[in-house]
Amino acid sequence: MIGWPYRAPRLFGAFVLTAVLASAGPPAWAAAPADLELRPPNLKPAPKSVEAGMWDDSDRAEAHTRIAAELDTDPALQAYVRGVFCKIAADYCGEARVYVLDRPFLNATCFPNGYVEVWSGLLLRAQTEGQLAYVVGHEVSHFARNHSLSKWNHDKTTRDVATVLTVGVQAGAMFGMVKVAQSGAPNSRQMIDDISDMAQNLNDLIYLGAMAHIMAYSREHENEADRLGFQRAVAAGYEKSTGPDMWTGTIAESRASDFAAVRKADVRASIYRTHPLDQDRIDALKAQGGVVAAPDIDARKRYRAAIRGHLGSWLKDDLRRRDDGQTLFLIDRLSEVGEDFGVLQFYRGEAYRQRRHDGDAPLALAAYKTAVGYPDAPVAAWRELGEALRRAGDKPAAAEAFETYLAKAPDAEDRWLVEASLKTVKGA
Amino acid sequence: MKTISTASAFVLLALSLIGCGGGTLDGVSPGPMAMGDKHHLTLTRRWADVSPILPQRSKKVRVLSVDGPWLNRVYVARGLQPGEGMLKRQDKEHPVPSFHADMAPTELVEFATDSVSAMGYMRVETSKLRPARFGAADGLRFDLAAKTESGLEVQGTAQMAVAGKKLYVILYLAPAEHYYAATLPDVEEMMRSAS
Repeated sequence: MIGWPYRAPRLFGAFVLTAVLASAGPPAWAAAPADLELRPPNLKPAPKSVEAGMWDDSDRAEAHTRIAAELDTDPALQAYVRGVFCKIAADYCGEARVYVLDRPFLNATCFPNGYVEVWSGLLLRAQTEGQLAYVVGHEVSHFARNHSLSKWNHDKTTRDVATVLTVGVQAGAMFGMVKVAQSGAPNSRQMIDDISDMAQNLNDLIYLGAMAHIMAYSREHENEADRLGFQRAVAAGYEKSTGPDMWTGTIAESRASDFAAVRKADVRASIYRTHPLDQDRIDALKAQGGVVAAPDIDARKRYRAAIRGHLGSWLKDDLRRRDDGQTLFLIDRLSEVGEDFGVLQFYRGEAYRQRRHDGDAPLALAAYKTAVGYPDAPVAAWRELGEALRRAGDKPAAAEAFETYLAKAPDAEDRWLVEASLKTVKGA
Repeated sequence: MKTISTASAFVLLALSLIGCGGGTLDGVSPGPMAMGDKHHLTLTRRWADVSPILPQRSKKVRVLSVDGPWLNRVYVARGLQPGEGMLKRQDKEHPVPSFHADMAPTELVEFATDSVSAMGYMRVETSKLRPARFGAADGLRFDLAAKTESGLEVQGTAQMAVAGKKLYVILYLAPAEHYYAATLPDVEEMMRSAS
């Protein structure tokens, strides 16, 4: 990879660059031509080409994933997600290898060789199959338009140009400094320092300009993939609200974060962002015919049926991110479907228990109490209810909850611990 | 994610090489080793203190190894106070599991497994939860199974106890194949002697 040494940008350079780029304005949505060229199915790269190198990298990533601990091995889930892929990308279905990874973040990737990753964080956050299809369609569109290759070429050209300019600036500065030194002028030392500073400022400007150019190109790709992914989803029969609803949900989740930086992250426009702002994506999709509408409850129920078996483990993974505000937001939204209350209320209790803010203990207790009223509550809900009641000072109710736990989980590894807690609350 | 992992691995490798080449890793001789001000354990063999090459650990955690941290490592938490964890918090947006004085025993186990997850291990499961002693204090002992990101099976065992409102942990992790069993007797003795 070709690069150039980075120095902290001088104020002057940053100011000038910002002014230049702000006046130029970011490229508008849908800058790509209408008749976009898509890669043919079953494309193979020419040997020793740049693309072949990318395929090699992708092959290695895929080989790693096949043995990765995060690989979700549920064949039904893998088949379901692959089915969604094939619905919106029938043209590439035959060559795609789709893998679900248990990673609690919203992401999916379609590599140049046809290897596709879908993360569990996306599956947990999509409210309908249509929303999942939209995101997968977005990734397929990167693949179909060979964005990784064009980005590689674009970035390389940008870096090459920046390198040439940097060398030119340095050479010019050197020439100027030599001339000044030979002139014997009384203030030559000061002039040499000024030339050196100016050269550094110019190189900072070149660096920042190059980075901004690279990021702008990345945003162009994201915009194009948004549009094409949306078109694929709609063409496959999914609702026109899929794309806007997906981003509306991510905005709301960000705002629910426990952390100020996360809450503010998606409202700060920047020429150095790799992706457009979510609100800009919604507006752009609306311009393409997308609508913002509450997802259809029947569609949500159908989708829930496909992921139900993983709901608990994915929520547990999400809790490990330790952004309980976001997890609680997700649980609220998942609860709107009107199903899975035992699991959802248990993990609501877990989020409050883990967060430990003032007032969280009663909220955790209330959630555990609600959870155990539903048949799908994990058996651990009884143990946690007992512990929450013990802390609240309600020893008789705590004893009852512990006894229920022991009856429901006679072989539990922590039986001796719960028996000890039971003795404590019974005053033995 | 992959870029970050690669970068992290590179940094760790570089630190490892610096550590080996510069001879900055200290050996820890057999005999008593302090676990905070009032507690100690006994080592039955010589260990390397690999703490300097594991910058993620918190200050109160010492990490020992026989064959290098990727082949066996023992985390010794020497009296964590409420709010402290096995690992250092990298930034505001990424909190790490922390100890609280009122934690129930099951929450202590959860603290340990969440800490192991935060170290980068995956699919962390516990088994054989049983009582243990730490001097005059009651403690917990349990075994662990986990995987590295690339799927390597890892085994572990942990002993933890709260004494004087501080948490003491001995946590052993090693690849399931060969290494876990090879060093386990020394770790068992370490845990048995902790008081």
